[in-house]
Amino acid sequence: MLLQLEGIFKWVNTGGRRIFLLKDIDLEVEEGEFISIMGPSGSGKSTLLNVIGMLDGFNEGEYNFLNEPVHQLKEKHRANLYKEYIGFVFQAYHLIDDLTVYENIETPLLYKKMKSSERKALVADMLDRFNIVGKKDLFPSQLSGGQQQLVGIARALISKPKLILADEPTGNLNSKQSLEIMELFKQLNEEGVTIIQATHSETNASYGKRIIHLLDGARDDYNK
Amino acid sequence: MFKNYFKIAWRNLWKHKLFSSINIISLAIGFSASFVIGLMVYYDLTFDKFHPDSELIYRVTTTFLSPDSESSNPGIPMPYIIEAQNNMSGVDIACGIHVANFLKVEDKENDKVFKNPEYIVYTNENYFKIFDYNWLAGSPEMALNTPNELVLTENRAKKYFPTLTPSEIIGKTLTYNDSIQTTVKGVVANFDERTDLIFEEFLSIETSKKTDQGSYILDPQWDNTSSSSQLFIKVSNPLMANAITKQFNALEIEHRSDWEKQYNRSKLFYLQPLSELHFNVELGIFDFSDRPADKSVMLGLGFIALFLLLLGVINFINLNTAQANQRAKEIGIRKTLGSSKKQLIFQFMGETFLLTLASAIISVILAYWLLNVFSDFTPIGLSFSLFKNPLIIGFAIILLVLVTILSGIYPALVLTQYKPISVLKNQVISQTGKPALRRFLTVFQFSIAQVFIISTILIAKQIHFMMNKDMGFKTDAIANVRTPWYNNSEEKQVRFAQELKKYPEITKIARGGRTPASLGTSTTTVTYINDNGNEIQTSLQMVRGTKDYIDLYGIELLAGRTTLNDTIQELVINETYLNVLGFKDPKDAIGKKIKRSDELYPIVGVVRDFNQRSLKDPINPLALVGNWDGAFFGVIHFAFTNSNDSSMSETISKIESAFKEIYPESDFEINFMDETVEQFYNQEKSLSKLLSWAMGLSVLISCLGLLGLVIYTTERRTKEIGIRKVLGASLKQLNVLLCKEFLILVGVAFVIAAPLAYYGLNNWLQEFAFKTSLSWWIFALSGLGMVLIALIIMSARTVSTAMKNPVNSLRTE
Repeated sequence: MLLQLEGIFKWVNTGGRRIFLLKDIDLEVEEGEFISIMGPSGSGKSTLLNVIGMLDGFNEGEYNFLNEPVHQLKEKHRANLYKEYIGFVFQAYHLIDDLTVYENIETPLLYKKMKSSERKALVADMLDRFNIVGKKDLFPSQLSGGQQQLVGIARALISKPKLILADEPTGNLNSKQSLEIMELFKQLNEEGVTIIQATHSETNASYGKRIIHLLDGARDDYNK
Repeated sequence: MFKNYFKIAWRNLWKHKLFSSINIISLAIGFSASFVIGLMVYYDLTFDKFHPDSELIYRVTTTFLSPDSESSNPGIPMPYIIEAQNNMSGVDIACGIHVANFLKVEDKENDKVFKNPEYIVYTNENYFKIFDYNWLAGSPEMALNTPNELVLTENRAKKYFPTLTPSEIIGKTLTYNDSIQTTVKGVVANFDERTDLIFEEFLSIETSKKTDQGSYILDPQWDNTSSSSQLFIKVSNPLMANAITKQFNALEIEHRSDWEKQYNRSKLFYLQPLSELHFNVELGIFDFSDRPADKSVMLGLGFIALFLLLLGVINFINLNTAQANQRAKEIGIRKTLGSSKKQLIFQFMGETFLLTLASAIISVILAYWLLNVFSDFTPIGLSFSLFKNPLIIGFAIILLVLVTILSGIYPALVLTQYKPISVLKNQVISQTGKPALRRFLTVFQFSIAQVFIISTILIAKQIHFMMNKDMGFKTDAIANVRTPWYNNSEEKQVRFAQELKKYPEITKIARGGRTPASLGTSTTTVTYINDNGNEIQTSLQMVRGTKDYIDLYGIELLAGRTTLNDTIQELVINETYLNVLGFKDPKDAIGKKIKRSDELYPIVGVVRDFNQRSLKDPINPLALVGNWDGAFFGVIHFAFTNSNDSSMSETISKIESAFKEIYPESDFEINFMDETVEQFYNQEKSLSKLLSWAMGLSVLISCLGLLGLVIYTTERRTKEIGIRKVLGASLKQLNVLLCKEFLILVGVAFVIAAPLAYYGLNNWLQEFAFKTSLSWWIFALSGLGMVLIALIIMSARTVSTAMKNPVNSLRTE
């Protein structure tokens, strides 16, 4: 078991009323799964991903990650956990504008206090694998959207995470680029990486081995 | 890791060139001021620190107490020096140092003459027991214990005997003032480190026998104090200082003269530690060309440096917190990639350090330039090369780190507090630190700038006032020439005056003493017994000059007449003294007699008050008198027919040639009265210069910061401006909207600064007997000036923003 959510609630209070962002979510994820989360805008897909990624907290419920009770951990411990095991891929890529492709990919390793020679080897491997060696000295603004997302995925993979969380990874891409990215995810999954992606697109969702539907913050899997 | 941080820091600085340069310039100004002032403080604090047992060495100084005044003298009557040497417990060694003046030194063997040798003292072998010199030849035990012995420093030895080694110089003869033959008994190395003991030639005490000073030094009188005769002692234990002072004061009570008893006067003695020597402004140091360090001036300079540095730090904090949004995305991403808050803070502090380092490097260049600008303030020996001193470098590094922490820590905390989730959701809108703090800091900045502006204007006003106030006598087109104090006679002086009379360019000539207003004074105590039998005792200042003198300087005679001739013993008094004597009408005073010592002098005339010193001092009782003792009429005063510049230099060279004919061996110097008056206010002028700089720099830094903030707010409000413009707001309305926020801050700063400045300046003005008023318009002018400067700076940005096409600013959303 990679992770387990039990009765997760998350809400905000606006004008005396409680608005639920997540409502009683239960979810179990085994290692090696490829899950697609589907649902309309505002249904809580991103929120759920952020909770899983430990970037966001929740108000009620239990969350165990590799048998560690995340809801009981301190901030620092939690950061160590996601630093070690989780890689993020964003719709808007979120590359650091002031860093080159090479440096962007290298950044997660800096925070793992890895030796310089080791870092070089890992980044070089990654550039090779994604076929972007020639672009390593370019800045994000000099790349196309598809290329930027490739760098984003490369960056997510560099620290060899067990889990990749992808929030609409192809949302800003055209269909050809989308196809490439989804094929890449499929390939990664076959190599053993667990992937959870949030998506609007039926086509993309179908890459997942399991699809979870969300509506207004709650699981809506009945009409599956 | 470090390389990575460094790279990012560099790119960030480069990307925001404008903001980086504002930060760097502001900090560099603060740094350079701190470096220069730190250098000065270091320089002044390191005087005479190297002597062995320096904490045991004291100078004994005298303070004169009278019922109405108190004054100090670095010297001490001779008998106390002898007592200290012979029977005083707690004093290990004592020595008198008597500054000597000679016209010339001769090496008769080689027929070489050296004029006006400086820094010569009479002392004895004890001097070398207190102060440890390195003897290049001779020995301290053998030197200065018999008459006509001489010890030279290495520098002097090289000057007098350029070709000889120190040991060859021993036994050579030098002759002072033609008649005093001395034998060189030793050569000592000059002190390498900074010292106020700048003596170059040491003569044994008894050598003074054949000079004027000898009578004073060798015939000890208990109530005769001269600043040239000073006492240095080395005590066995610093705790003994009090007990030693008591012994001196006990001696004073025992030997108080009848005169002192009659007028209730006394002396107090004070043990001044060697470390205080350099800071004693009132008593002075031996080197007349330099001046002692003034601790209050140093403190003032320190505050200016601190303020300038703080202003730079404030700019940094304000601009970086205001700009935090731009870095928010990077921070959010770094956090999701696993960076801890500590690592991020470390990264930002590193960036801050890089920026401060850049400022510091620039400031070293600026400091070099500032040292030249402020050469009025810096001691003569202070040079840029002191920067190489490890202590100074250490201080600079500490300052660098301190400034980095001070300016970096708050922005770093603000930046790193971002929650990555909100950044990634684009939810950071206004989490840019507390705007209240930024407002507070801006107000602080502008208050300082405002205080500087007000002070600069007022001090300029006071200087203008003093330079232009009628002092009660003429200052235009009047000059004087001082005839030398040696090889001179009344006959020569008269001949010189006669020569000058031949020139048509000169209208009036008067022989006399000092100019009507001067920095020196000579006073005497006089008594007047009025009709009721009451004794009125005052100190009376004497200005010496004849009938022509009053006429030349246009001093108005109110009653009576001027003295009949130069040597008759009559007094012409001023109104102040007239009032002290209790007369209403000047005519009543004519014919009354004033007692000085045991003689009576008649008052023959009364003149209108004029300022006999600078306007800092009040007008005191004064009398114009003639040439009573034959030695006081050495200055020739004269007025020019016209003060036309073109003919002036010709006239001066004529006067010089007349002077050289009569006094071939002396240097000619002409002093113009208006320049003399200007020199009274040199101190105020250099203060004014310093404040103008402080004002300029503080306004510059504050305005740079303001510019940065305005750029940031206008950028942030581009969309709002677009919408307002679409809704029909005019350019003017938009400008008001954008500037209002900052103008309020400048206004608040004024409200804070004005009373502070008023209080401080009011205190400063108390030093002046004649002062300009603290007019309301000074405050109004400086307040308006500040607002105007701020407005211009802001409009430069706001106008262009307000003129932008709203379609462009709205489309980007």
